[in-house]
Amino acid sequence: MGDAAGFLQLTLVKAAPLIFAALAGVVCERAGILNIALEGGLTVGAFAAVAMSYATGSPLAGVAAGILAGAMLAGLLGIAATRFNVDQIVAGTGLNLLAAGGTAFGVAVIFGAPGASPEVHALGPRGEAILIAVALALAAVLQLGLDRTPWGLRLRACGENPRAVLSAGLDPRRIRIVATLMGGGLAGLGGVFLSLGELDLYSDGMTAGRGFIALAAVIFGRWTPLSACGTAVAFGALSALQFVLQRSGVPSELMQALPYVAALAALTGIAGRARAPAADGVPFDAG
Amino acid sequence: MSRAQRWILGGLLVAVAAGVIALAGASPLAGFAALVRGALGGERQISETLVQTTALLFPALAVAFAFRAGLFNIGAEGQLIVGGLFAGVAGSALPGPGFVTIPLILAAGAAGGGAWGAIAGALRARFGGSEVIATLMLNIVAALLANYLVAGPLHPAGVAGAETAPLPVSSWLPVLLPGTRLTIALVIALALAAGLAFVFARTVFGYTLRAAGEAPQAAARAGIDLRRTALVAMSLSGAIAGLGGATLVAGVLHRFNVALSPGYGFIAIAVALVGGLDPVRIVAAAFAFGILQSGSLSMQALAHVPKDAVAFVEGLAIVGLSARRIAASAARAD
Repeated sequence: MGDAAGFLQLTLVKAAPLIFAALAGVVCERAGILNIALEGGLTVGAFAAVAMSYATGSPLAGVAAGILAGAMLAGLLGIAATRFNVDQIVAGTGLNLLAAGGTAFGVAVIFGAPGASPEVHALGPRGEAILIAVALALAAVLQLGLDRTPWGLRLRACGENPRAVLSAGLDPRRIRIVATLMGGGLAGLGGVFLSLGELDLYSDGMTAGRGFIALAAVIFGRWTPLSACGTAVAFGALSALQFVLQRSGVPSELMQALPYVAALAALTGIAGRARAPAADGVPFDAG
Repeated sequence: MSRAQRWILGGLLVAVAAGVIALAGASPLAGFAALVRGALGGERQISETLVQTTALLFPALAVAFAFRAGLFNIGAEGQLIVGGLFAGVAGSALPGPGFVTIPLILAAGAAGGGAWGAIAGALRARFGGSEVIATLMLNIVAALLANYLVAGPLHPAGVAGAETAPLPVSSWLPVLLPGTRLTIALVIALALAAGLAFVFARTVFGYTLRAAGEAPQAAARAGIDLRRTALVAMSLSGAIAGLGGATLVAGVLHRFNVALSPGYGFIAIAVALVGGLDPVRIVAAAFAFGILQSGSLSMQALAHVPKDAVAFVEGLAIVGLSARRIAASAARAD
């Protein structure tokens, strides 16, 4: 029984950053912004949180910095996508590169040695548990918010038919920017969980592709918060299973590849038609 | 993007780069000087810059090839890795004279990259699945799978790390300049760029690809099979990137491991966009980015600016360049 509880706990720890990032992806994509820079959001969030905790000694300030950093990175995407009608996929790729380069640069400059930060004041087991609860609660809140509130209706409309939103007298670009900022903050919080929740330091590459696993969870969860969260938990369980099976001879690389393969499988439609919002990734041109 | 906008973007990037160097506590001028000296300061530096140029040129041509056909191949990195894996496995197993083994190794690389690209192409052609998501996922699967194979089932006896056995010296690509790592891979890449320029400008096949990319609905009405085009274009794009991976294996590392690429497949997107998706201009862009890649190390050594500053500025460049309207956005509508 102790083993089962331990496994569940490890599952939730591994799932939490995926849930945050997947919810970020859902919010952005339902508003019509295809944000493939979730990985970058996790990265800057994890880094900024540690840098702030290092500077102030306060992990709570670190949490705020991580959320802010994620929102700022996504804000770049939001502004580029709504004001300059850029290609969101290319911009997202650039943001991922920028985040990886910028944080590696920041580690070397701020901490004086490349690769990793020293240990800083972290959130501790209680903080970690609270963040896990926040992730799960946010999934439910966002599901309700998207389905049942005027805000959710507007946001979804932006992702399906932004012109209709304009006809209703609202500015789809504004709604999209706000959604992107929100999503970015969520991704940043996922990064905070990695660096200050699960661990107490930042090291280059610590996000290790989680942003892309989250993207897979968004697709597998068919762009709804609760399903995306459920998928993220399943992926978290897979990840926890690796620790259990470590000495059983099952190759860990192949286990790690499973979420990505699941996303590829979802593209074939075997899990039912996976349909992205109609205007997902499509620039809105008011003209 | 207009000419004026390009200049503004370029100026902004230089300003940001200067700011980043200053953040690292160095004088921007000294930083730039160290970068240029490290990249162009002598025969050895220039040849190393050309090695980086070559490494970027293959995936950049791959990216451009797919983009021109309206397909977002974000997967050049994975295709390059699988191509390198195939080349490394073939190269370490094949004995024999170079004029036999080298073409086989390069063909193996192209086949591996092509197969990896074909997965995304097939998902797109058969199921209408987004090639963006597919290639993003395949990048990571490629690295995991390749690492698993060279660490596990394909791991050669007597080799310490997760890599293939070294290639026999006879299978190494011939060097152009003695004492450097500059090989005929550069010549192959340049010939490929010229060939692609010709294909796009002068052949029915190239016209078909461009039509599918620029006006998919009109192309479909004119009888072009968009599904088949997607499959063919993604496969060939992957093959180009895979060929690049093979030249890294046979020309630079002389073995395969997953550290083969420090993200060439991603920087290649910037290279392709700076080059306006035009093969000839991409050569110039690859040289410019080659300077950044090879100069970043000396900037770190001489001016104490962490080399990652370059990746930061490159990422910013991609964001800026994404404003170029790419035909593929229109292709979503099919």
